[in-house]
Amino acid sequence: MMPSNFVRFRFGLLLMAFTLCAIDGAVAEDDLLPAETSIPEAIDHYIDATLMKEKITPSPQIDDAAFLRRVTLDLAGRVPTLHEQNAYLDSTESDKKQKLIGQLLASPDFAFHQRNRLDELLLAEIKKDNNWREYLLKSVQADKPWDQMFREIMLADGSDEETAAAQEFLASRIRDVNKMTNDTSKLFFGVSVNCAQCHDHPLVWEWKQDHYFGFASFFNRTYLTKSKRLAEKFDGDMQFRTTEGEEKTAEFMFLTGVKVDEPKVEVTDDLKKERNEQIKKAQNDENAPIPEPGFSPREEFVRLALADENQSFFAQSIVNRMWASLFGSGIIDPPDQNHSGNEPSHPQLLKWLEQDLIAHNYDLKRLIGGIVASQAYARSSEWNGEGERPQKWFFAMSEVRPLTPRQYSLSLLISTTSPESLPESNEDEKWADFRQRYENSAEGMADQLERPSEHFQVSVDEALLFSNNSRVENDYLRDSGDKLVGHLKKQEQPEQQILLAVKSTLGREPDEGETAGFLEYLNERQDRPVDGLKQIVWALITSPEMRFNY
Amino acid sequence: MTIRHPQIDQFNRRRFLGTMAAGAGTVAADMTVLNVLKNPAFAEELKRQQKSVILLWLAGGASQFETWDPKPGRPTGGPFGKIATNQSGVEISELLPKMAQQMETTALIRSLNTKIADHGGGFSLMGTGRRPEAGIEFPDLGAIIARELGRKESKVPDYVSIYSSTEGRRNGTSGFLGGRYAPMFLTQDVIPPNLSRLEQVSDLDHVQRAELRQLLTDRFQSKRQSLVVSSQTSAYERVRGLMSSERLFDVEEESSSMRAFYGPTQFQQQCLIARRLVEAGVPFVKVARAWWDSHGQNFETHRELCADLDQGMSALLTDLEQRGLLENTLVITLGEFGRTPGINPSLGRDHFASAWSCSLSGCGIKGGTVYGKTDPDGNTVADGEVGAGHLFATIFSALGIDWQKEYHQGSRPIPITDFGCEPIKDVLA
Repeated sequence: MMPSNFVRFRFGLLLMAFTLCAIDGAVAEDDLLPAETSIPEAIDHYIDATLMKEKITPSPQIDDAAFLRRVTLDLAGRVPTLHEQNAYLDSTESDKKQKLIGQLLASPDFAFHQRNRLDELLLAEIKKDNNWREYLLKSVQADKPWDQMFREIMLADGSDEETAAAQEFLASRIRDVNKMTNDTSKLFFGVSVNCAQCHDHPLVWEWKQDHYFGFASFFNRTYLTKSKRLAEKFDGDMQFRTTEGEEKTAEFMFLTGVKVDEPKVEVTDDLKKERNEQIKKAQNDENAPIPEPGFSPREEFVRLALADENQSFFAQSIVNRMWASLFGSGIIDPPDQNHSGNEPSHPQLLKWLEQDLIAHNYDLKRLIGGIVASQAYARSSEWNGEGERPQKWFFAMSEVRPLTPRQYSLSLLISTTSPESLPESNEDEKWADFRQRYENSAEGMADQLERPSEHFQVSVDEALLFSNNSRVENDYLRDSGDKLVGHLKKQEQPEQQILLAVKSTLGREPDEGETAGFLEYLNERQDRPVDGLKQIVWALITSPEMRFNY
Repeated sequence: MTIRHPQIDQFNRRRFLGTMAAGAGTVAADMTVLNVLKNPAFAEELKRQQKSVILLWLAGGASQFETWDPKPGRPTGGPFGKIATNQSGVEISELLPKMAQQMETTALIRSLNTKIADHGGGFSLMGTGRRPEAGIEFPDLGAIIARELGRKESKVPDYVSIYSSTEGRRNGTSGFLGGRYAPMFLTQDVIPPNLSRLEQVSDLDHVQRAELRQLLTDRFQSKRQSLVVSSQTSAYERVRGLMSSERLFDVEEESSSMRAFYGPTQFQQQCLIARRLVEAGVPFVKVARAWWDSHGQNFETHRELCADLDQGMSALLTDLEQRGLLENTLVITLGEFGRTPGINPSLGRDHFASAWSCSLSGCGIKGGTVYGKTDPDGNTVADGEVGAGHLFATIFSALGIDWQKEYHQGSRPIPITDFGCEPIKDVLA
């Protein structure tokens, strides 16, 4: 990998360009680290190699308290409780980090958070659908492999109760075949195909309108019956007009260029008419039988996408998505721009992780656990080094990442609950119920916040909401016994109040300056001590340290 | 009160000085303005930043026959006549007599052919200046203007959208530009949400907790360069300023004669609020007036709604002009589409996007002009056909925004003007 290419590709070539096979072929598989290497070893091997070559000294590893906060937010979707902090910081075991990761992955929190992560990736942008969310939760709880989930999401037809809600991904996009096409391609394969809808790319010969409409063909027959089931019609080819004005019929074509032929069957006009009638009935009558054509384009699509020789796109995309979620940017970044104008920063690492995922049955939990165990993951987001900050794609330091609405909302609830009202540990049997309850309570606030996307900025609406909305006062600053403020007011020493307030919210001890500042403030607010505590907690929960994973 | 953090203190003492600092900040800002004016490039920038847009959104789709493109005496013309205006050769519907007397600052475009004639599609097209595309959320006009004309530290909102009616209410979208440029959306209340301090939090506490927050922020930010963290800091820094803009939404602050000048209806009073906002530096205000969707009783509907529009719009233009604001304020009247030449059995006109009109007044506009022409019955565009993209390019040009500018989504350049569209030079000053 040539660093000079980074600059050229990332900044110079601002072009829509798609090379479909080139990326896959760029890395010779023989050169990769052995398959038995552990995930964190492989990550650190490849990341460090580039850093060495570029003579970049990465920022140091974060301390225990900061690691606990970062990894709990990433695996459990919330900040650590006071109990969890004390347990982790007090532990002297040499493998406590590995144990913590294992414990978080095994806790009920992980399934909730991973469910939310997948929902935010696939559907939350469009709608909130509780059945779909329940389907995701159950799937993650059952450790369902990612390729199996993909198969269910693409092929569920509502006939099997367990997977029925999986059809929502396509059903919610049913009115627009371009949306089904583009979102499937972007979210499951990391390729934004929409540019080729109107024109062949002028420079990259591989990417033609044929590819776009070929991909769209797989979805063009999909419709929703009156009984709200996803089904397919008997026919319906994708017609398009090329930029040269030629009328064309698209072939069923996957991203790699591989095609499927529909078996040719002679259909009489009468039969055609009758079939159309059947479809119409299914669309208009809840009780009408749903016709089942012999040839299913979507089944062919899934078969092609997961075939050994083609599955690289699918595997690589989810590896890169999970990486981006944990690092703030992808090895290919943005993650939906997999094309020759936007090469991966670490192609060998990406290839290795992709093969590892395939070899381990698309186990995302294993992948995530491996990534967070790497040193690259645990670097500080502060830059104290010499010279300019290294560009983000070196992964020499951590990025500051905005919390998702749910992460923030849940963290607000948990950190402003009295530590005495929280279960002792996430291994506690009460914890699953507790998490479910908090997950529900967090929804109201989460709905008010914006989901982070590319170029995300915190809006002034959010600042106004936290400054002036009664929900904030009532939910987070109440001084009843079950709340943090209520707990603080029972403490006799102001130093103790400050320590508890900062630890509960920010997961660390206050520094000297903060203690002095807060003490001075509380001293001045002796006329209304509870109001004073409320303002301190408000400042803590609206501070960037609370708002971001850093 | 002083809250000091020993390590941070030296970097940023100003922050801990509370209200005094705010005063000092204002002075400093003004000084900057003076210095900046000496530099021509910055002066140009500043001039651009002082410009504003008021969009009078005729939700549901107003009839071009009963507004800007009357065809009396034709089978499609309906019962109303046309009247001469103070611009020779320019005639408009008799339902707009006040506007007829002040067309010197207004240009009409009579040749819109935008093709999409359903409310959702039309709203999206005329709101964003282009057709939607799967996989990308385009920002609407308000968000683009907020981004181009808004000031980072502004004490007023960048984009206010007033939509009191329930019919066809659709939120604006800042699309890929993100929440920073999303509209402050007013529906039920006249005052935007979360703009007033809760009674249970005293003003002192409100100010001091923001200072406590700043203490924590400085510690965090000093070693991390992060755009997203700065965005949070500047969002919170704007809170107090925005709260003081609450009074801008209060028409009671205006004299009763001024309120009477605009007229008593909700729309007319909202036009007055729009002027107050623009005067205070808000770059984009949208005032939506609904119920134009006259599938039945088109003529009665327009008799009532045009009177409302005529009074509100003419008062707004006059008031802006008298205050010297019109040369920097572009007033647009626009809806999703126009209405059919054919009159249906319920005496209504239906959706029609093939040949319709809109108006542009004030900033950067050559007043008294009419661009484009429809055929004698108004069925088709006869001359100067333009679409949403051309209109947007024209709006950008009128405001001094580079209409060929591009945003980026990943590596993909996204021109703010849709492909193949250029400004309509004939209506630009």
